[in-house]
Amino acid sequence: MALEYRALAFILLAVCIMFADNRFDYLDKVRYGLGFATTPVYWVADIPTRVSFWIDDVFVSRTDLLEENAQLREELLLAQRELQLMESLARENSRLLQLQEASAVINGEVLPAEIINVSPDPFSKRVLVNKGAREGVFVGQPLLDANGLMGQVDEVLPFTSWVLLITDSHHVTPVEVNRNGERALARGSRTTAAELELEFVTQTQDMKAGDLLVSSGMGQVYPKNYPVAEIISVFADPGQSFSTVRARPLAQLDSTRHVMLVFEDKDSEAQSAVEEAISLSAEDMPPATAPQAEAADSNSVPQVEDQ
Amino acid sequence: MQRKTHATWVIALSLFIGFLLAIVPFPDWAMNYRPEWIPMVLIYWAMALPYRIGIGWAFVVGLLLDILEGSILGVNALALVIIAYITLSLHQRLRMFSTVQQAGLVFALVGLNLMVCHWLLIITDQTVPSNLMFLMAALTSALIWPSLFQLLRHSRRSFDVR
Repeated sequence: MALEYRALAFILLAVCIMFADNRFDYLDKVRYGLGFATTPVYWVADIPTRVSFWIDDVFVSRTDLLEENAQLREELLLAQRELQLMESLARENSRLLQLQEASAVINGEVLPAEIINVSPDPFSKRVLVNKGAREGVFVGQPLLDANGLMGQVDEVLPFTSWVLLITDSHHVTPVEVNRNGERALARGSRTTAAELELEFVTQTQDMKAGDLLVSSGMGQVYPKNYPVAEIISVFADPGQSFSTVRARPLAQLDSTRHVMLVFEDKDSEAQSAVEEAISLSAEDMPPATAPQAEAADSNSVPQVEDQ
Repeated sequence: MQRKTHATWVIALSLFIGFLLAIVPFPDWAMNYRPEWIPMVLIYWAMALPYRIGIGWAFVVGLLLDILEGSILGVNALALVIIAYITLSLHQRLRMFSTVQQAGLVFALVGLNLMVCHWLLIITDQTVPSNLMFLMAALTSALIWPSLFQLLRHSRRSFDVR
């Protein structure tokens, strides 16, 4: 008899914990504490990858290294040349924006990180990165790879953090078409395909396959103008009110290991003044659109207090 | 009857390896076929040492698995508590079963575990309803059970886990 009661008691406890964890944030401390206990598992699970990287590093011939070095030099030169051009353009752009009293483009600092695990549930697109609260990672922090936007931090553990990818069906990215500035909301595909679906695109909006989508900066989670995806198909059914637009993310969501966490650098005075003005005017108005990236509202201002 | 415990580290190590195998990434097509290691290891220990490995262990292991998988706390804990309860109440019969019969019961228990987790994740809005391919993991678990059983029994006897 005692066994039944014990089982029942633990089931009730589990239900309470689930309810508390789902609805309130009492249990964040518990999760954080348990995160310490589970860190060794991730560390051990990652050993094979590290060993293979180490072997690649050690057993590489001198000629290969020289070749690679020459190639990297060449690439660096090209990149620096482009950077010079970009810098003058950026300066010109910010001058023009200042003329219009708009907020400047955000120049953030980045923290390099590595993806060390992926979510075992095929329907939830989340990855685990090897930077956590110790390095000042915060919930809502954007994650990029070399090609584009990957997602935002969803849960911070002591040494690691979970990142919700932009292709998760619970995630919505505010984007705009780079060519003409048409805005849209890109939701992760509801299938297992790593794609985005643009929501509420009217049939008169100017979008076509091949268009580049960049982050629009709305919702205040992602910085503006990072490349997000490329439209692969636009289908306008005359019987439907919205067209079906599918896009493929530019970031290498399932093959890359090296990623960057962005710390927004918001110390420029002009910018904070503009932001203040925006927040003042925002108080008068109701929020513009209902579906924004989840968990965005409470985290619009990055908090790095934990360290 | 008070028995002295012995070699707890074997149990802990088997669970640790189970955790590792549970989070090692697989290619996408293989995700649905991954055996459920932790429920199987728990079933074995609950069957072999019912006076030690009980519902409390199942609960704690479930919480750790929740953290590892990044799901909300309590999902795996609840499913594993149910499994541990069924195993404990059947453990004497389970020991008399042939390997095939045991594998059949493991199939049912792991399937139940997967179903409960899937339902709870849908109720709490963590995942979307999908086809039933995720239940294939119960089949692979049942296929692997005989070898896992032999391995764990061998280590239990050679390290004298009580």
